[in-house]
Amino acid sequence: MVARRYYEVRGWLLASPYLVYTVVFFLVPIVWALWLAGMEWNLISPRRTWVGLKNLMEALGSPRVWAAFINSYKFLLFFLPVVLVLAVSIALLVNSLPWGAHWYTVLFFLPYLASGVATSLVAEGLIAVNGPLNLWLVRTFGFRPPWLESPGWATAIIVALIAWKFAGYYALIYLAALRSIPRDLYEAAAIDGAGPWTRFWRITWPNLYPATFTVVVLAVGLMFGIFTEPYVLTRGGPNLATHTWHLEIYHQAFANFRAGYASAVALLNAVCTFVGVAVVRWIMQRWGRAHGYEA
Amino acid sequence: MFNGRIIRSCLSVVVLLALVLSGCGGSKQEGGAASGQGDKVSIVFWSAPNPTQEKFWRTMAEEYMQSHPNVQIEVAPIPESPSSEAGILTALSSGSKLTASENIFVGFGAQLVNSEAVVPLDTLPGYDELIQARKAEAIVADWKYPDGHQYILPLYSNAMLFAWRMDILKELGYAEPPRTYGEILALGEKLKAKYPDKYVLTRKLLLDPNSWWERWFDFFILYYAASDGAPFLTGTEVTADRDAVMKVMRFLQEMNQRGYVLTNAEDAFEQGLAVWDVVGPWALPYWKEKYPELKVGENVVFTPPPVPDGFPSDKAPKTFADAKGVVIYKHASEAEQQAAWEFIKWVLSDPKHDRQWLEMTGLPPARGDLTTNPEFEPYLKENPALARYAEAVPTGVPPIKHEKFVELHTRLGETLMVPVITGQKTPEQAFDDLVAAWAEVLR
Amino acid sequence: MVTKHRQLKIAALYLAATLAVIPALFPYLYMVLQSLAPWNEVERVIWPSKFTLRSYVWLLTGGDTALARPWLRALFNSFLVSAADTLAVLVFGAMTGYALARVRFKGARWIQSFLLFHMFYPSIILIIPTFLIVRFLGLYDTYLAMILPKAVSVWVIFMYATFFQSVPQDLLDAARVDGAGEWTVLTRILLPMSSTLTTVLGLVVFMERWTELLWDLVAVKSHHLMTLNVLLTTMKGPYGTYPGPLCAASVLLTLPIVIVFLIFSRRFFSGFQYIFR
Repeated sequence: MVARRYYEVRGWLLASPYLVYTVVFFLVPIVWALWLAGMEWNLISPRRTWVGLKNLMEALGSPRVWAAFINSYKFLLFFLPVVLVLAVSIALLVNSLPWGAHWYTVLFFLPYLASGVATSLVAEGLIAVNGPLNLWLVRTFGFRPPWLESPGWATAIIVALIAWKFAGYYALIYLAALRSIPRDLYEAAAIDGAGPWTRFWRITWPNLYPATFTVVVLAVGLMFGIFTEPYVLTRGGPNLATHTWHLEIYHQAFANFRAGYASAVALLNAVCTFVGVAVVRWIMQRWGRAHGYEA
Repeated sequence: MFNGRIIRSCLSVVVLLALVLSGCGGSKQEGGAASGQGDKVSIVFWSAPNPTQEKFWRTMAEEYMQSHPNVQIEVAPIPESPSSEAGILTALSSGSKLTASENIFVGFGAQLVNSEAVVPLDTLPGYDELIQARKAEAIVADWKYPDGHQYILPLYSNAMLFAWRMDILKELGYAEPPRTYGEILALGEKLKAKYPDKYVLTRKLLLDPNSWWERWFDFFILYYAASDGAPFLTGTEVTADRDAVMKVMRFLQEMNQRGYVLTNAEDAFEQGLAVWDVVGPWALPYWKEKYPELKVGENVVFTPPPVPDGFPSDKAPKTFADAKGVVIYKHASEAEQQAAWEFIKWVLSDPKHDRQWLEMTGLPPARGDLTTNPEFEPYLKENPALARYAEAVPTGVPPIKHEKFVELHTRLGETLMVPVITGQKTPEQAFDDLVAAWAEVLR
Repeated sequence: MVTKHRQLKIAALYLAATLAVIPALFPYLYMVLQSLAPWNEVERVIWPSKFTLRSYVWLLTGGDTALARPWLRALFNSFLVSAADTLAVLVFGAMTGYALARVRFKGARWIQSFLLFHMFYPSIILIIPTFLIVRFLGLYDTYLAMILPKAVSVWVIFMYATFFQSVPQDLLDAARVDGAGEWTVLTRILLPMSSTLTTVLGLVVFMERWTELLWDLVAVKSHHLMTLNVLLTTMKGPYGTYPGPLCAASVLLTLPIVIVFLIFSRRFFSGFQYIFR
């Protein structure tokens, strides 16, 4: 009896930092956010008005919010194939090196350490109209792409920056999975006379499924939370082509000072992320089951 | 390689550091508040994030503290995240120490007034004398709020000018810069014929609605010139000169369609990639440090904004005036407000300080006697570029005075500028959409 | 014949790997070169004609027009905030993970399922109320404002709990029979066993905290409290830009984290293999 009570108290005591944190920085903010979403308030004025669902309605009709919604999927659509191909290629390449694999892994991983602010600034300088890349392009081909002036290029640049940063990190996840594939599977396939291409699709890729699952779910979360790159590089432009949820929330709350409206947008963002991640998980699980995996 | 003990000892050092430092951070603030209650008053003054302005206020504060040992003034630049207005609002909303600041324009002032965040200056002792000393009665009238009070003390007024690369223009056979839209389009043809990869106009953020303040320097500057200063918004009513808006937007559309406009480029004018840009006087010290080869009056020439074809040539075009002033915040204690007011009065009543301001920042002080007071004359003579700005002050029209300025300007970018310039909408259609969008915001 | 073919294949592999590494490293190289270039060559040429420290001097001492910003202080701030949060995240993560995995108490199950909800809840919705709470607690514009809201990571709790669950029960029972309390079991037995995991979690948390922008942008306003990342974004003002010093500041931001990582890289990778096995 004494021992039981002892465990009770110890358990709660050990978990208490998390519980306190959760109350102060998670539960209270959630309730507060819901309340704020129905409020018209600029964060300093003594006057705040309850406007009910008006903010939510306005957000649902706002082209900026729609742009953020569509862009999160647009980014995902481009980012996912690019980063998957890069990560798998890097992992396969590094895995096949007889020596020095560690240092190559380190080098491929380095981009993950870069701050989005720093890389965005480098990218901005590199592709500046009068920057070295354009000078060279104009000299050699007499032409330069419209980089940040065109919606397509601007999207591509942001996707490329994020893919650059995460490819090495995701490759590491794949590398761990590659190394746990039993060797005899390959030996059996070699006896059957399967070429490298067949071996990849028959053995490697299906066995990488758990890694792919992890990477896809991580990538979806990432794509719903893009902020730094467009904040530094495009401020959401041109024509909202790179506008994101976080950019809109930051703009409304801390530039436009509509705390209530920003909370309503944040609420929509939360719902969309929740649903988005759930749908992707469901798709991945079905796909996995079709290949004999339970995830 | 690393055993647990090393890691553990590293971590404990970090814990200690963190505890000590967070303690320091907290106690520092308390210390500030405590000294405010004693006989020594400490105030926090925020300067514009422009480095030269920060330098001026620091100099002033040091001088003032020497003769007033009972006052402690801390000068810091307004954090720009993402604009100086946002920085101030965040500070006020968090209740952190801020007594007074500069860099307040009328629109933002309206927001502060409606949030009851600033002190009506005309109720403070010595206000009238200060205005008289600055001969600023006429200037101040523009800054009055509907309740009849004066919350912002005008500090400077930048009537914005356009700059031309005279060196490139000369190569194209121009002795002086073009004046009208038609002439500028003609110049574009010649420029593109000779240098296909150069541009006429460069505005980095022309197509970025989120950088709302840029509309002052691309839309309003052209609109005020074309409409001879017709107010765009009166109260909550759009009173814009529709015809002038059409002319401005058609011009910008044509410029962009012909590929004469360069956006998203840093310093394109300074590097000679474009020949025309909107420039404020704050660019002069920047050029001096980074582009010493640019010489105003030689390879760079300042002009008023361009005008539509048929605009009378003997008339000085109006322009946008980026005018900012000083406010005192209500949430500071009575003693702090008073100390700040004494400091501001001390700085702004002496023309010598204004001269120092002019020399350090290059921004024309908002004084009625700027071009007549002998204090400024020799300096303006030596600096013709500044003299151009000082002369342009009477043609300057201040920004829109409405508290929802961020949203209004963002909508202006979204519904008028971007769609028309990129050719998605006609100017007529876009303007109607804009009026509807603004009506919704102003309702 | 076969060996020659094989040698060629290996050579081709190394060539491919080396070529593939270039894009990963190029931005770093570019950043360093630009930060050392004379100002009239910054962002015009990739390889400057000569090297100068002007950008660094400007950054640390200010120029004709600009006053120096506290860059070294910002470097320190970044370190402090990242280190404090990493430590807090690890300590709280291990404590909670241990409680959930190995201490049987009423409510553990409830907390566990709540944890999953918490982990997948998009935190962006919380940014405004968190700002208001920080303000309410009087912490705005202090180190604690940056540290506290990021002091717990649900992911780390989860990782620790999973690891602790795999530890044989006999080991813990033996310790408890010897009279060891929960704290002793955690710090003397479980934590030393999980040092590899701790290194990986610690590095990931540290790196993510180091590159955080949005919250730090909101949490402080004083220049002397800003992290490097935030101070860097404030440099892009409307009053002219200085790309050389921007690159120098980027180097200042990136170099320390690269060094930290290189020191721990071997441990990090082996731990990583273990986690994503």
